[in-house]
Amino acid sequence: MSDVIEPGLELLERQNRFVSEHFRRIFVQIYHLVQNVADAQDLTQEAFIKALQHQEQLKDGQKAAQWLSRIATNTAIDFLRRSSRATFSELEDGFEGDSETPEQILLRSEHREYLEDGLRLLSPRERAALIMRDVEGLPAEEVAQRLNCSKATVRSHIANGRTKFRRYMEKRKR
Amino acid sequence: MRHPNQATLALHSGGDLGPFARWRTSRHLAQCERCREEVAAFDEVRQSLPGLAEVPDLPWNRLAAEIKANVRLGLAAGECVRSVDPPLRQSGLIHGGRVVVAFACAAVLVVTGMVLERPVPSAAPEEGPLVQNTPYGIEVTAGGETLGLTNNGVQRVTYSLDAQGSMGARYVDPETGYVTVNTVYVQ
Repeated sequence: MSDVIEPGLELLERQNRFVSEHFRRIFVQIYHLVQNVADAQDLTQEAFIKALQHQEQLKDGQKAAQWLSRIATNTAIDFLRRSSRATFSELEDGFEGDSETPEQILLRSEHREYLEDGLRLLSPRERAALIMRDVEGLPAEEVAQRLNCSKATVRSHIANGRTKFRRYMEKRKR
Repeated sequence: MRHPNQATLALHSGGDLGPFARWRTSRHLAQCERCREEVAAFDEVRQSLPGLAEVPDLPWNRLAAEIKANVRLGLAAGECVRSVDPPLRQSGLIHGGRVVVAFACAAVLVVTGMVLERPVPSAAPEEGPLVQNTPYGIEVTAGGETLGLTNNGVQRVTYSLDAQGSMGARYVDPETGYVTVNTVYVQ
């Protein structure tokens, strides 16, 4: 048996603060990529554990948010690679907007399913690039940073993503 | 007339081309109805995608608490697994050094134990619960009664203490590989 001293309270508080500061942003970021609450929660936890286990890699504290975003993106992309298709469920229950009629809720839900079906045709990196650019509205430079690749590669992913999605939309219209 | 390719039109739609390519494509679009339609189709794609930005209305506070607790558990489990993993390579020198340090620590412990075990004038017994680790797990004694939380016979257990009086035991079950983290809080 070995006895160890537990990390001090100060460290635990620092870790808690780090999670509190960033968790909502990271959750939303991952949710946009995987489009599922349960998976987003698991992956958010995974991203924070990875970050805190390797916090010595973070040289500049000012860039913690950026560094964490990159870890979160990679975690989500790995997940999308592992699961050939993500499952989409439990989305309809908790949306805001109690004023909506059941018909409106149904229509929105159908539209969402339609978009999610289109996303499944994209590779994980195309999907991530397209969502960051066209859903989150990030500039291509930031998308490149998060995906850890060049701006030219990001442009190629964005162009492929839009082209595939367009074909999908046209096919569904027919 | 030479038309821009699909990728160029897709990028032009979102303003993602460099200045020169953008200027050249705009010039072409000014006189090409077909390419304008292509760009309009890409615009439609871009306009439909923000529908994916919605996030369900979630109980954020509960979610934050769950995530914090699971992150803490994950970090503890990670440490536990790391502490069980045998090192891949060891040099003889380092190995020998560790043996010496281990013996020295054991000697210090024995001497300290002997000093502490000397008969001393009896002090008034402290009231309140006592939490301690035993060969079987964590034991809490209070009011003459003892409650034990066993480690299922696992020998390699990492115990931890904190200043607020909690004791934790972490171990990996050698048969199943499951990581167990027990924490007993005493008030």
